[in-house]
Amino acid sequence: MKKIIALLLAVMMLAGVLAACGGGSNNTTDTSKPAEGGDTKADVEDPFYGEDNISLLVWAADNAVNTTKTLCDNFIAKYPNKKITIDVQTQGEGDAAAQVLNDADKAADVFSFACDQINRLAKGKALAPVIPDFKDDVTSRNTEFAVSTATLNGELLAYPETGENGYYLVYDKAVVSDEQAKTLEGIFEACKAANKKFVIDAGNGFYSCMFIYTGGLKLDGLTEDGTQVFNAYDKEKVLDSLEAFANLFHQYSDIFMSADPARIGSGMAEDPSTVGAGIDGSWNAATVASVLGDNYGAAKLPTINIKGTDTQIISMNGSKLIGVNARSKFPEAAQLLANYLTDEEAETARLEELSWLPSNIKAAESDIVKKNPALSALSDQAQFSEPQINIADTFWSPVGTLGNKLFNTDKFDRATIESEFDKAISNVLDE
Amino acid sequence: MKFIDYVQLNPFQKFWYNLKKFFINLPSNLGKIFKAIGRFFKKMFVGIGKGFAGYFSRFVKGDWATKISYLIMGFGNIVKGQIIKGLIFLATEVLFILYMIGFGWDKIYNLGFFNHGTIGFREEGYGINPVTGRPGRIEGDDSMKLLLYGVMTLIIIGIFFAIYIANTKSAYKAQQLKAAGEPLPKLKDEFKEFFDDKFHVTLLAFPTLTISIFTILPLLFMILIAFTNYDHSHIGTLFQWVGLKTFGDVFSNSGAASMGKTFVELVKWTLIWAVLATVLNYILGMVVALMINKKGIKLKALWRTLFVVTVAVPQFVTLLLMSQMLDVNGGAINVLLHDVLHWTPEYINFLGGDPWVARITVIVVNIWVGIPYTILITSGILMNIPADLYESATIDGAGPVKSFTKITLPYMLFVTTPYLITSFVGNINNFNVIYLLTANLQNSNDLYQAGYTDLLVTWLFKLTMNSQDYNFAAAIGILVFIVCATVSLLTFNLTKSAKNEEEFS
Amino acid sequence: MIKNYKVRRITSNIIIYILLGGLGLIWISPLVYLVLHSFRYEGLAYVTYLFPKQLSFKNYIDLFTVTADSSLNFPRWFLNTFIVAVFSCIISTLAVMMVSYAFSRLRFKARKPLINIGMILGMFPGFMTMIAIYYLLKAMGLLELPLVALVICYSAGAGLGYQISKGFFDTIPRALDEAATIDGATRNQIFWKIILPMSKPIIVYTVLTSFIGPWTDFILAKIIVGKDIPNYTVAIGLQMLIDSDHVLNNFKKFLAGSVVVAVPITTLFLFLQRYYVEGVTAGGVKG
Repeated sequence: MKKIIALLLAVMMLAGVLAACGGGSNNTTDTSKPAEGGDTKADVEDPFYGEDNISLLVWAADNAVNTTKTLCDNFIAKYPNKKITIDVQTQGEGDAAAQVLNDADKAADVFSFACDQINRLAKGKALAPVIPDFKDDVTSRNTEFAVSTATLNGELLAYPETGENGYYLVYDKAVVSDEQAKTLEGIFEACKAANKKFVIDAGNGFYSCMFIYTGGLKLDGLTEDGTQVFNAYDKEKVLDSLEAFANLFHQYSDIFMSADPARIGSGMAEDPSTVGAGIDGSWNAATVASVLGDNYGAAKLPTINIKGTDTQIISMNGSKLIGVNARSKFPEAAQLLANYLTDEEAETARLEELSWLPSNIKAAESDIVKKNPALSALSDQAQFSEPQINIADTFWSPVGTLGNKLFNTDKFDRATIESEFDKAISNVLDE
Repeated sequence: MKFIDYVQLNPFQKFWYNLKKFFINLPSNLGKIFKAIGRFFKKMFVGIGKGFAGYFSRFVKGDWATKISYLIMGFGNIVKGQIIKGLIFLATEVLFILYMIGFGWDKIYNLGFFNHGTIGFREEGYGINPVTGRPGRIEGDDSMKLLLYGVMTLIIIGIFFAIYIANTKSAYKAQQLKAAGEPLPKLKDEFKEFFDDKFHVTLLAFPTLTISIFTILPLLFMILIAFTNYDHSHIGTLFQWVGLKTFGDVFSNSGAASMGKTFVELVKWTLIWAVLATVLNYILGMVVALMINKKGIKLKALWRTLFVVTVAVPQFVTLLLMSQMLDVNGGAINVLLHDVLHWTPEYINFLGGDPWVARITVIVVNIWVGIPYTILITSGILMNIPADLYESATIDGAGPVKSFTKITLPYMLFVTTPYLITSFVGNINNFNVIYLLTANLQNSNDLYQAGYTDLLVTWLFKLTMNSQDYNFAAAIGILVFIVCATVSLLTFNLTKSAKNEEEFS
Repeated sequence: MIKNYKVRRITSNIIIYILLGGLGLIWISPLVYLVLHSFRYEGLAYVTYLFPKQLSFKNYIDLFTVTADSSLNFPRWFLNTFIVAVFSCIISTLAVMMVSYAFSRLRFKARKPLINIGMILGMFPGFMTMIAIYYLLKAMGLLELPLVALVICYSAGAGLGYQISKGFFDTIPRALDEAATIDGATRNQIFWKIILPMSKPIIVYTVLTSFIGPWTDFILAKIIVGKDIPNYTVAIGLQMLIDSDHVLNNFKKFLAGSVVVAVPITTLFLFLQRYYVEGVTAGGVKG
């Protein structure tokens, strides 16, 4: 008898669990019905194709949440005869793919993400491609670069949200002169004279890829199964570039600092400031500009002297995209909202409030872009950068580790660099 | 050594003697463990066999009502007058059948038996919906969900089977009691028993339930995942059963950062770490506790509080702060050592530089974390060591070091072995110190998704969260279990052999 | 001779005082650093000097007043954590007491196998199952109620932590039970009326450890609560303040928040330290 009671309890509990599961799956079918079974005649006039009582979840970067909320409110106001609720939550673009792929059912319907994650998301079948209704418009209103970052295997998978979103050189004009800021050696020399740090996040693949890009290595798409393909690069040249960086990092080991870009702003805000210059992302630009005031300097990345020639440092350049979750319960509304959040008006709003470089051709011609030093530095750097597309998941960690090795080992002769480079490449190829 | 010699040894010599004996007997002890596992399985199978024999013999001996209970549960009980009990059985059967028809069978069907080992049938996709003509999602199966429900269904079938057997037993017992002319037990009386003779059922029912659902079910599920190919390339598609291939991959040795090499490297470091962390925390903690508790030292409460406060502050705060303070670019400790005290010629890269510097750093920080716990636990016991032992040692001319190694340590080892085992296993799984201090700082292109300070458990975490290689993470979890279980069983045997001797005088 | 002995004792005591002073300083200094910098006014995230130049309550005031910003709602997080901690602490303590009493005082056929199963389950690394638990909670629809899900997560497996309190119960003489049984008490009455009142140290120990748990867990909670920032606990909320998107402007708030979390727990802990020690030495060592 004792066992019976115990077992019965167990069965009841498990039955409860299963009832809940059953309920859960029923819900999904119920809610997806209006999307599928709408009245086809009415659909022609209705951009929502019959969807109503819409509730959408939007993920935006932390600093963009308020702007996005306003835009969403405008969107709701635009369709007064539909019942729409939109919830905006904060989610960094850098980590969006991981969050979406961990559980696509719970992820946002419309989310902002950095373009390097597009193939992960596509492989995980998490992205609904841009629907034919908007495709031509999206392609024509945005820059070629932005469209290319949103395209995979010829299919437009997401809505471009920003133009070139890379990193640039930020410097304290009291330490580094505009002239010195043109060469890496000059920056180091100026920082040394003032005994201030120069910051690059060399252990992070997003930044450390410039050490190999500058040597002529480039990405050339992905194979069928997602393995990285490189161009026919000259290995000796890549090693030359790595060696040149390693030499500088060691020569100025008390000046060079590999750390999170947040250290640039922190260091400059100290009294007396401890950081003279750094390679920083545009998201910190506003804070750094307010810290430095008139001494705020921003420029494209400097050159580095490789075997006697000043070579422009090549960087990685991405864009932010807005994607629609393939599992959205309101796919039509989600597409409509994504399109709305990336039109000229929305991009102008983000440019004005957040200083995000627009991907929209018209919005990008605004005077604000030309007046903003960080944005003009970014667009100057754009021609010396590789688009951040078709990058394998396996790229970041090995390249970041390679960057770490350049400065934090005592031994940095060519043979060591070569073996580290070989290992990194082999890991990127997932061999 | 003969028994007569052994008896004449003092307790400490006996302890060391046993320790030595333990290591000499290690191989045979291991053999014994395997034999015990064998015996366990033998017993299990014999038990199952006996169960079936009983099942059939009850059927043969049963009357018509009992026989019908084999098909319609509870029938025998109802006929014999135990109506409520019988109805409960009947209801269980009806519920089970409904469940299997409505939900369960489909999940078993999807487990891969009918699709060449692929869990589920329909791939997720995107295309034109034929009904509406609009592009949209083509819903596919989710292998992860199907496997979870499949495991759940299997467990429910198992539970139902157990109830079913209990039903046949109950029907037969009712038949026997009736034949003997004895009164059948009333439900109320049986219920009362649950607060006395069967109180353990009442006490254990709820915890067992929650543990089954939230610990055992997920664990079984993850163990099964280790036998599939659910890695980062199978997110969004169906995955398959692959047998032991995952384990093969964990030990394979191909490529620049092979998993096999990583595994060996991390196992070595995990064991070094666990031994050093446990031993150092234990001995140093005891030394500090002895100093605090020494006769004539004043302000004992103050000293103890200074150390113990660190236990109460959440580790993610103190450790993250520590990693800030150890930072190579002007972290507080570097500033103190270099700029203020001028002890070091330059800032030291404690965590991000040479692997061994980082390893030593994490061990030292772990001492900071661990010593207060040792002080808390050992203080009371240290006071219990008979004072005359120390006095006689002092008369014999033993200094403080000697009396520590000859008296304190053996005594404490004897009393606190269970604590040592728990803290050893705890250190093998010590996530916080390693992860919060060195997260990705020690990552290397020689290791697969791991760094030089990673333990198996932090590797498991990185494989789950960073690279979404769920099957490898599960396989490593199983291997960690094997390591922990072996260590615990071996040391458990040691304590048993020691404890079998008479208690300390 | 006696004088010599006295001198030796005094010198050894002085050495011990110096050692204890030095070690105590090392142990307490990270906490001092934490408290000092939580009051730092100047600078952004990091500074490269030891002592703040200007102290103020600004970080604390910001922490409690800047709640309109979508990413920061410390008072709410604090309340969440408190609620989760209270409920999971009640359930866990009951579960632990029930299981360890059954294993320690009652004799039944399944006792040994159950104890063994408990030990085996404890040897699997906890991180192994977090993904499965997530999907299980999702299947049950509990992810919509993250705080309930957290209470379940923290207390469902609590029964497995029976070892220490079982060890404690083992030290209570069985003669007490026997005498009570002769007087006609049921097991149920013995548990509630005799054993539990005698077990104050181990109850306090269990309450304390299970109450502290939710304040410090930053892994499972993050997986379960996900992006739902208003439902964060303090641990994951504070973690979020120092991720790369937030750290530049929020690091000082992180320090202040850490102090706010640490102070009540530390007070509680120091206050109840005596029971903690009694419980853990009685249960964890002699068992």
